[in-house]
Amino acid sequence: MLVLFDYLQPLRASLLWLVPMLYLLAACLSNWQVARFSSVLALALSAASLAALLSGGPLIIYSLRADALGCTVLLLVSFIGWVITRYSQNYMAGDTGQMRYIRWLMATLAAVAVVVVTNHLAVLALAWLATSLSLHQLLTFFGHRPAALVAAHKKFLASRLGDVCLFAGVALISWSLGSFEIDQVIRKAQALSAYPPALKAAVYLIVISALLKCAQLPVHGWLIQVMEAPTPVSALLHAGIVNLGGFLMIRLSPLVLEVGGAQTLLVVVGSLTATLAALVMMTRISVKVMLAWSTCAQMGFMLMQCGMQAYDLALLHLVAHSLYKAHAFLAAGGAVEQARLKIMSESPASVSLSQLAVSAAMGLAMVAAAGMLWGMNFEKLTPIWVLSAIVSLAIAPLLTAQALRLGGVWPLAMVLGAFGVAFAYSGLHHLFSGLVDLPRNNTLNLFNLIWVMLCFALLFVMQCLIRVRPRGAVATRLYPWFFAGLYLDEWFTRMTFRVWPARLYHSKHQGHTEIMKGPVK
Amino acid sequence: MSHVIEKTALETSACTQLETCLTQACQRIAPTWPLDQFIAVNPYWGFVDQPIDCAAQQLGQLSGTPLVMPRSFYQTEWRAGRLTQAHLQSAIDACRADCKVDELMECLTFTSTSTSTSTSTPPKTSAMLLVTTWLDSQRDLSHAVAWADFVTHQISQHCAAYFDVSQAAWNPPRVGLYASWVHQMSNDHSTSLLMGRPGFSQKAASLPQEPRALIGAASLALGFEFAKGAQQCVDYYTALLMSINGWASWCAYERWQARLGTVAGWQDDDAIVELLAIRLGWEWLLLQDATDTKIAHQWFADCTRHAQINNALNKQNKLDWLLQDALERAYQQPLCHGLMLTPTVPLTSPPDVQAIFCIDVRSEVFRRALEASSSTLQTRGFAGFFGLFISYSPAGTAMTRPQLPGLLASSRSITDEWDTPHDRDAPSLGQVIAQRRKHALQRRSLWQSFRSTASSGFSFVETCGMLYAGKLIKNTLSNTGTPRTVEQTGLTYDEANASRPRLQNLPGLSQEAELQSRAEMAAGILGAIGITHDFARLVLLAGHGSQTANNPHAAGLDCGACGGQTGEVNARALAALLNDAAVRTALHTKNIHITDSTWFLGGMHNTTTDALVLFDTDLMPISHAVDLQKLQLNLAHAGQRARAERAPALGLAHLACDAGQLEKTMKARANDWAQVRPEWGLANNAAFIVAPRVRSQHLNLAGRAFLHDYDYRQDATFGVLELIMTAPMVVTNWINMQYYASVVDNVKYGSGNKVLHNVVGGRLGVFEGNGGDLRVGLPMQSLHDGCQWQHTPLRLSVFIESPQDAIDSIIAKHTVVRQLVDNQWLHLFQMQGEPSGLAISRYAQGVWKPVA
Repeated sequence: MLVLFDYLQPLRASLLWLVPMLYLLAACLSNWQVARFSSVLALALSAASLAALLSGGPLIIYSLRADALGCTVLLLVSFIGWVITRYSQNYMAGDTGQMRYIRWLMATLAAVAVVVVTNHLAVLALAWLATSLSLHQLLTFFGHRPAALVAAHKKFLASRLGDVCLFAGVALISWSLGSFEIDQVIRKAQALSAYPPALKAAVYLIVISALLKCAQLPVHGWLIQVMEAPTPVSALLHAGIVNLGGFLMIRLSPLVLEVGGAQTLLVVVGSLTATLAALVMMTRISVKVMLAWSTCAQMGFMLMQCGMQAYDLALLHLVAHSLYKAHAFLAAGGAVEQARLKIMSESPASVSLSQLAVSAAMGLAMVAAAGMLWGMNFEKLTPIWVLSAIVSLAIAPLLTAQALRLGGVWPLAMVLGAFGVAFAYSGLHHLFSGLVDLPRNNTLNLFNLIWVMLCFALLFVMQCLIRVRPRGAVATRLYPWFFAGLYLDEWFTRMTFRVWPARLYHSKHQGHTEIMKGPVK
Repeated sequence: MSHVIEKTALETSACTQLETCLTQACQRIAPTWPLDQFIAVNPYWGFVDQPIDCAAQQLGQLSGTPLVMPRSFYQTEWRAGRLTQAHLQSAIDACRADCKVDELMECLTFTSTSTSTSTSTPPKTSAMLLVTTWLDSQRDLSHAVAWADFVTHQISQHCAAYFDVSQAAWNPPRVGLYASWVHQMSNDHSTSLLMGRPGFSQKAASLPQEPRALIGAASLALGFEFAKGAQQCVDYYTALLMSINGWASWCAYERWQARLGTVAGWQDDDAIVELLAIRLGWEWLLLQDATDTKIAHQWFADCTRHAQINNALNKQNKLDWLLQDALERAYQQPLCHGLMLTPTVPLTSPPDVQAIFCIDVRSEVFRRALEASSSTLQTRGFAGFFGLFISYSPAGTAMTRPQLPGLLASSRSITDEWDTPHDRDAPSLGQVIAQRRKHALQRRSLWQSFRSTASSGFSFVETCGMLYAGKLIKNTLSNTGTPRTVEQTGLTYDEANASRPRLQNLPGLSQEAELQSRAEMAAGILGAIGITHDFARLVLLAGHGSQTANNPHAAGLDCGACGGQTGEVNARALAALLNDAAVRTALHTKNIHITDSTWFLGGMHNTTTDALVLFDTDLMPISHAVDLQKLQLNLAHAGQRARAERAPALGLAHLACDAGQLEKTMKARANDWAQVRPEWGLANNAAFIVAPRVRSQHLNLAGRAFLHDYDYRQDATFGVLELIMTAPMVVTNWINMQYYASVVDNVKYGSGNKVLHNVVGGRLGVFEGNGGDLRVGLPMQSLHDGCQWQHTPLRLSVFIESPQDAIDSIIAKHTVVRQLVDNQWLHLFQMQGEPSGLAISRYAQGVWKPVA
């Protein structure tokens, strides 16, 4: 049996290699038929490689890596790639730049696939750089739009800064551990009794690069403003690229686990971004920008989970968010229908703060019950305590008095729905904990847990206050600040204009009609 | 400098003058309807009081927008042979222009081989000088954000937040558009951070609290005088409003609705004045910011010089309009010749089926196909709301929406009803369903809040995000089914199918009075449609609607006469009204006799897939079963023909001969969430024919003509003609001009590229990309297929068969009609049946000239 698997190993390796190769082929040919065919085949190969993983176990060969994390994310990326390719073909029909579009779409997918399948740190860093550079071409697809150029320029700067950090980190790792192969690096690092300063610095650098590439505050502006690119590009970015920071954190989790400060950095920046961006999101008036702030918040949450050593939940978040956000962007044109539905539904009766507090308590009980059903261990204080508490605050709106006062069987349905959410959460946690190597003897950082709990409790209170007293002092005083996105992006934009200004082309022609904007001399 | 920024209190006389200027400037802005009621509007509506070429000149000066295509467009038409020397000559002759045909031909044959195309295009009239654009002209815009863009973005974001009720969960206090802007500006830091100009917030805090006070003070400070230069003032205000045209149009819509009186207790709406105050406030702040006096003086000097330059462009503009007129003649000439060939063989016996369609140009294709499939079937054209002044409230929902043209206000309401078995004790089935639906919708919105609120979003994603993989797969694979509409949300499949939209009684009316009122309504509608006797066995009332997915502008493809909704509700309600035995009896007194052999049938023409579904067929008497079967067969054939005809324009020419495959493909397109060109809507509309169908039945009008049936012999007082010329003719002008404007200037009057659309406030409109102004009008993808325009911008050619003096007296009576016709916002032709054939005359400044 073992012999057979040895024999199949090159085949499995080729499965992995073929995925980026297919995308690359499509990029070279720049043709919709080839792109569609490649994306279907890539999806099939990714599924096959996941199947091979399930039957044959993890594999590391020729600097390639087939493990649960890699295969899951590869399947995710090729699935999103397939959806986006099919979508784009009709969506971009008639555009003169279609060839260019296919080329860079496929190149981006190829680069992402390499990031996911490689076991070589330098290859990973280079592929990531390639991802960013190809994506830049897509973000500036409409090169005559000054706003597109500003956003892409900001992204360019943040990403290059991230790249510098990543390359430096990778160089330091290989210098201190003598290898570029991820598995060897991890093995050697685990053998160390204490990390040398260079290795610690490397971990910090890699964490910073993840924060930069996941559009965390205050360098989030580019992510918000890339609505200047076609919708499927936004979908690709939000579903398949911006979360690579989380992937890197999970990939290198054994290293990050040993550096407490790096984890605290992830927790503090991640949870601040999650809560602040979620509040800003509430003020957004256009559907795509609202979705972008939501991504920003969700990425913060994912990195925060990484910092809390809940890598299984971070992976769950990465996968689930990608699927959700890809759909949300691609279906953003349905916003008008949503508005119609809102007009059709009677505005719900107001709730009081005390009612919300009661619902939150009910939520807590439900989450605890669901967790116990799945055999979760609540005896020891672990991050899952805090994360479960966040879930219980989340299902509180489903358990408010207005939900329980609905006619017919609806109250029961709402309670069951809320419990279903809690149950699904614990179940998915259970499922995903099998996918990643969780720390065995983790050191608990109490500060991190308290910080996170405080952040999310505050978010819940703020949100309830805004909902219950929309004209109250808190809501009206804070509104201008959050509507302005706390001016963080204005500040960052100002810095980029000072340090390295973008070049804005004021073209006379836009599409088929002449643009009248720009300087009138 | 001090005299410039000094705030001056206005005297009373100045106040009145200011008010006049404001009224005039605000009138210039045409409204835009929200996306869920996206009806067409003539964006030049505020300028129809002027001849079109003068309006063009003025619009050019105010905002730089052109009203004609660039020369290269006419050159293409010339090279393709669609525009000939004869057309040019006839255009020159018609307006007795002091211009030789050679001169025009020179414009067209000038080849721009090596140098840029700009040599063959006349220099653009430049926009009126605003402080923003003037400041930008002195800045290095390749490395800095333009003031014009920054100011637009800032105002746009503010307006969106202020008017939004659907998207954001956290809104600013609604204390007035201007007041909340002052409040926001006085706490703002983005101007100093982004533009590097600190101190704006302090200056903003000292602005007057009243919008009119600001307008008065700022105008004086900027050197405008109401008494001496009222016109200059109006122009400047108009230019300012046009620089933020999208939101100005939205405010104009709020004002339009207020003045229509649809919302009780809503007097007038002043948002547009407040918007002007905001925009003027920026100008003032920016001029104050320009620190030294020299700059302020320079602005005044440049202003004057601009006015001089613009006057010199007249000659080129005249040539432009001659070319445009010639292009329109190139369309009109073959159409006139075709119409003159009318075979005069009126139907002697009443047909088996009378099918009444909307005047919409898309009906023309289907009607022609339907007529070809049966010789005993007659089609007629009438506005698709079928003369019902109604609003529709789906049962169990909080929504009420107008189902009639945007020019009018509704007077009656319609809601869904379900057949209730006669059981007095039980609450009616309708009430039960409505109650259940209300709860279902509430549950939905609670679940929605779990999905979208700030603190729940994270857990929602983790627990439910994976389910979206299924949705992604479902939407990606092609689907030829019929999806449920938003209006059916909260109903089960059976409930939705069994619902019947029905007219509701007027409150406080006795049974008898209600019946009388209904009979009057029915008689009026039948008279307007033009069928008051000789009813066919089946009378089909076919409304229309589109079927698209993930399309913010979906309502724009629905029936404009029904307020941007499908015509289903109107068609079904009217059919029920006319099938009502009591109403039929009451109609006897009005000399309208509908016998039991006639049955009215509501239907809906799906313009995307060319399927026509019939409603309430279960209520039909058994005696009509055979007729129904025959009709359904004919409709199926007509659908096939119509699809085959439309296939090439949709890029499906290869399927035109394979009916089955073509139908599947079109259905899949209609459900495709990535499809940006599901159908061509009313693209390429060019004519409006008001005459009996026999006049046009022998012609293939290629889906370019609105068709309204009208027989002047049955209209002794010309009341129906008056209705047609004041309502449908205006509506068709609005549609025609919406397409026209979206093509000639898609930046100002179109909504740009669909792939960048970003819906604002759920229904207010779209941004193109991240922000900028609210975009009005049609997206490029609805006008252009990537290779060429699918809409040729031609002014509407209206053909009316009626005596000349009847038309003349209506023109004389109605200012709006007179303006449209005399100022050449449309072409008017009169048709007259004569023994030798049909004579056509063209209306030109009050004179009828026979068309050769």
